[in-house]
Amino acid sequence: MTTVITKMITRICLPLVILFSISLLLAGHNNPGGGFIGGVMFASIVALSYVVYGLEEIKKSFSPDWGKWFGFGLVLAACTGFAALPFGHNFFRSAVEILDIPLIGEIEMVSAALFDIGVYFVVIGSLLSIFQMVGEDK
Amino acid sequence: MDPFISITLAVFLPFLLAAAVPAVEKLIKHKVGWFASFVALVSFLLVVSLIPLVMHGEHFQASVEWIPSVGVEYSIYVDGLSILFGIIITGIGIIIMSYSNGYMGHKEDLPRYYQWLLLFMGSMLGMVFAANTIMLFIFWELTSITSFMLIGYWRNRPESVYGATKSLLVTAAGGLFMLAGFIVLRSITGTFDIPTILQNEMLIQAVRGHELFLAALILIFIGAASKSAQGPFYIWLPNAMEAPTPVSAFLHSATMVKAGIYLVARVHPIFSGTDAWFILISGTGIITMLVAGFLAFRQIDIKALLAYSTVSQLAYIMTMYGYATYQEPGIGVAAATFHLLNHATFKACLFLVAGIVAHEAATRDITRLGGLRHEMPITFIIATIGALSMAGVPPLNGFLSKEMFYESSLEMGHALGSPFTFIIPALAVAGGVFTFAYSIKFIAAIFLGKRPEKGLPSHIHDPSFVMIIPAAFLAGLIILFGLVPSIAVQNLVEPTASSIMMETQHLHVKLWHGLTGSLVMTLITFLLGIAVYTRYDSIAKWQNSFNRKYPFISINYIYDGLVNNAKDTLKGFSSFMQPGPVRRYVLALLFLTIVLFAVPFLKLSAGFIPTLNFDVAPYELLVFFFMIIAALGAAMLPKYLPAVISLSALGYLVGLLFIYLSAPDLALTQVLVETLSTIIFLLAIVRIPQTFKERITPSLFMRDALIAVSVASMVFILLINATQGIIPPFESLSYYFIEKTLPLAGGHNIVNVVIVDFRGYDTLGEISVMCLAALGVYNLIHSRGESE
Repeated sequence: MTTVITKMITRICLPLVILFSISLLLAGHNNPGGGFIGGVMFASIVALSYVVYGLEEIKKSFSPDWGKWFGFGLVLAACTGFAALPFGHNFFRSAVEILDIPLIGEIEMVSAALFDIGVYFVVIGSLLSIFQMVGEDK
Repeated sequence: MDPFISITLAVFLPFLLAAAVPAVEKLIKHKVGWFASFVALVSFLLVVSLIPLVMHGEHFQASVEWIPSVGVEYSIYVDGLSILFGIIITGIGIIIMSYSNGYMGHKEDLPRYYQWLLLFMGSMLGMVFAANTIMLFIFWELTSITSFMLIGYWRNRPESVYGATKSLLVTAAGGLFMLAGFIVLRSITGTFDIPTILQNEMLIQAVRGHELFLAALILIFIGAASKSAQGPFYIWLPNAMEAPTPVSAFLHSATMVKAGIYLVARVHPIFSGTDAWFILISGTGIITMLVAGFLAFRQIDIKALLAYSTVSQLAYIMTMYGYATYQEPGIGVAAATFHLLNHATFKACLFLVAGIVAHEAATRDITRLGGLRHEMPITFIIATIGALSMAGVPPLNGFLSKEMFYESSLEMGHALGSPFTFIIPALAVAGGVFTFAYSIKFIAAIFLGKRPEKGLPSHIHDPSFVMIIPAAFLAGLIILFGLVPSIAVQNLVEPTASSIMMETQHLHVKLWHGLTGSLVMTLITFLLGIAVYTRYDSIAKWQNSFNRKYPFISINYIYDGLVNNAKDTLKGFSSFMQPGPVRRYVLALLFLTIVLFAVPFLKLSAGFIPTLNFDVAPYELLVFFFMIIAALGAAMLPKYLPAVISLSALGYLVGLLFIYLSAPDLALTQVLVETLSTIIFLLAIVRIPQTFKERITPSLFMRDALIAVSVASMVFILLINATQGIIPPFESLSYYFIEKTLPLAGGHNIVNVVIVDFRGYDTLGEISVMCLAALGVYNLIHSRGESE
């Protein structure tokens, strides 16, 4: 697995895939994509680099605590349940507001998108922490 | 301020500021207790500001929708009863949290202690101001949980853990009965809202006439009795004394144990005046009062003695709320309410004294204490005031409410007629006699008599002002309410009684009210009490020898048996349900799936001949062909590695198929998940032997083949039915989502909108499961390391 070719490809793919995963996350409301797919995409490229370069090697330069990621995601997702309350909707109802920002144009603000970001973090965090723990286990 | 906002603040400020406690502790170190007291003071002022609102029996209600589809609301109800409880909770809260500053050592885990105290106070306030039964239930169970954490505060002591577990098992389980009772009540009345029932005479009559009346009453009462340690449920309270003493004073004498009484008072207008009410509430009350009062004799730990006396005193209150006849449904209401308030003052005071004694003398064992009156004169005076009030000696507040107890007992006996005219007052006096005896014992054992030669520290003295002032303040209240009862009666007791009785009540409580029947009963109580006190030790000795001879005549014996056996029973059950090899689980799952799906489907599609459509594009056929090969490979290859690769090939092929079927979301997900699971699979299987060891016998093969074929054909039938939309009673859900996604959720991607919006709550559950799975893996890996 650790040939020069895989290393090179992984290196080229890493930024592209991460950007793609973010675009999947943000596009999810209207186009194919969403927090879950984006999260799995992110997790798989990091997993790939773990496999190709070795866990220890990657951890030297990049070693976030994935447990915090899923913790944060879960809290964020749970909190969005309340996001619609100030707009006069019920608990967990998605609030839709359309903002008109000069130069950028109309942007749709949906509280469900925040929820999706929570899902994104939970998926990344839980998958990679499982991955890392199983991988580190001797 | 708007009452709704005041109450919401009073309830939720403790919750919010509890989160700030660790940060505050970093700033002001061990003085963090004063911060907690300050929070309690704020809540107290907020509650007090509402007294004028309810002075004359008025009430106030406001609500915000929560789950409107089932009638669950965040709804608060302010009346005399909830204000009385609110004042007791926050008032005693201030006193306890200030006192804790002296009691808790600076090395203890103070943030955790004050956090849970504040959380408890908030939950308790939420409970008494809740108008909606579901909200009441949630806060009710929160008080059980916070109490669990506080009893188990010293986590390393097995007694603490035992007491905490016991209290949680009993009170939380009782809460579930109460929930069932609320649901029964809703099925009768159609509402979860208590005031709606209280204010509607028709609904109350409907409840009383309903065949489920008794079920609702008994279920709700089980909840109340378990929380207030009544009847057989009293057993958790003595063990709860493992908590730090201020906690015992706060939760287990003044507030939480009164939650059950609150509940009984709250539903009083709905159920009272019936025979069932009187028999259940007063019957349980009288028995508990006598048994707990009697059992207090053999306790040698001063806190255990106080615990039994608390059970017995709560039983007084319970009994009085139970006194009801059809004509006069509220004979004991005013008396019960007044005693409730008085008990909170004198019992909290006595617990604070117990804490002081334990703190200074380093023991709570009455056989090792004695003669401390010279060394701790101030504590002695405070303890005497508290204990005499409990014994019902004038001119203290306990005397007044005890008199009212006797008076209402006389009235109730009179209303029931012979032979109860005599029996009920006699039982009441018996309860009073026990109370008198153990109250005197409390003072005598600690302060009177001779100081033991050894076992006590050489220098014992009154504690610092931080601890003495809260206790002295309560003692002051005891005297004040005794001498000038109108302060408490007019501001707190009358509004409460009015709100329970649903009409304005006027009480005349005076220290001297002539030579009445109740005064005679009090005198008898004193005489008999002194007589019993002289035999105190021999009664205790007799109880001990009885307990040794018949250890099984005890509710604790039954509880321990149940709980200890539960471990073995569950072990048997779980080893039956979880035999080990994963294959068995899969077998059970597949078998159940076949049965559960096949039976209704075969019925529904009977007589229908599906038109099979073999018009499949050639490239799709090719994919199917490879899928079959991959599946066969996964099943038949002899080593793990090729089998796993084959399985993931199958997965990728399915992904390809999704693309043909124009489902990009699914295809993307499928491919990604397949990749990750293959990697994780590979990580795991490098550690295990590479070849399968099992030998597959022909019969095993036949069985597995049979199951595989049935599952496959079932899925086949299911798909044919589903794709042709022929199952009559159902309409495809997708039309709804196609129609509503854009207008309701503002998104074009239906799949994602369903996930994050329509079924957002489901998704929240699912991502919680993902987090739990990660934590589970963590535990698996780390716990294995420990056992090695």
